[in-house]
Amino acid sequence: MKFTSIKAKILIIAIVAALVLSLNFFRAETKGFFYYISTPIQKVFWSVGDSIANFFGAVGDLNGLREENDQLQGFFHELLAEKAYLTELKEENEVLREALQLDLQKEFQLVLVDVIGKDIGQDSFLINQGSRDGLSPGMPVITQQKILVGRIAEVFEKFSRVVLISNKNSSFDAKVSGTAITGVARGQGGSNLKFDLVPQEKELKADDLVVSSALGGIYPEGLLVGRISKASRDDVSSFYQSEIAPLFNLESTTMVFVIINFDND
Amino acid sequence: MIKRFLILIAGFYFLALLQTSFFIHFPLAGLVPNFILISVFLINILEKPQKNAGIFAGFIGGFFLDIFSSNPIGFYALILLGLSLLTKIIFRKYVWAPVR
Repeated sequence: MKFTSIKAKILIIAIVAALVLSLNFFRAETKGFFYYISTPIQKVFWSVGDSIANFFGAVGDLNGLREENDQLQGFFHELLAEKAYLTELKEENEVLREALQLDLQKEFQLVLVDVIGKDIGQDSFLINQGSRDGLSPGMPVITQQKILVGRIAEVFEKFSRVVLISNKNSSFDAKVSGTAITGVARGQGGSNLKFDLVPQEKELKADDLVVSSALGGIYPEGLLVGRISKASRDDVSSFYQSEIAPLFNLESTTMVFVIINFDND
Repeated sequence: MIKRFLILIAGFYFLALLQTSFFIHFPLAGLVPNFILISVFLINILEKPQKNAGIFAGFIGGFFLDIFSSNPIGFYALILLGLSLLTKIIFRKYVWAPVR
């Protein structure tokens, strides 16, 4: 019985195998039939699977995107730094070009310095060079347009403090350009200057250009100081009551020159 | 019994559709696991050695794999049928399991 049962099973399996293999004679039709009835379901499965895969693919890509974003940000910051450096160079180049046009280099031995801190209330600012760079107190500071800014008051190893000509402690000889009118320019603080000790018999008027004088030995001669903004006579004094509007603008100044070959002792 | 076989036919048909249309979107290390093979294997292992549904599952699972692959019809069907039979023989003769 058992033998029969095994034989029967083997027979059944052989028949099934033969039937299945015989389907290969109609392979195209058989598979075509299954594909035909399965296509709508397959489309749905495919679409759902594709959507889910896309979703998770996008989620998986987030890390990649984040990394790429980090890299791009780093690159962007590098470019920004480079741009800032190039802008600085350009600015420096323009300043030097302007100074060359005025032949400042022929007239003075100059050192270009950056303004790194300003104290408008005290009419002073900090520059990025100091005793290590050969700077010393008293050296005149000018702009590329040959405008007198002030002089070095304090020198540190790597920095120096410059006091403006408008500082309250500043006082130097000046004259009206192209004339023999001389006086003393005194700082009043707050970017204001007074033009003092100009005799009333001289002809001083508004908009006259004031330049430095070598008389006191504080500054070289011929540096632009400012324009007369107010000139009035009074009966009490024998001198003009006059004021100078300085030509330099501390707020927009980022680079200045230090004259290092001027001996003001 | 017929009902169980019908369920197996329907189940493996949908599993074959899922295998070829859905799971294919989620490869693991570049490979898509063959869930029909896994199912056939599990059915053969988990059902009682005296039952024959696993053998049928092997045949029908293999058949649908053949239908939805480029293989000749009968290739997987006969291989899985043979493997299922072998599993049954091994389980019936050599593996002891507590009666459930």
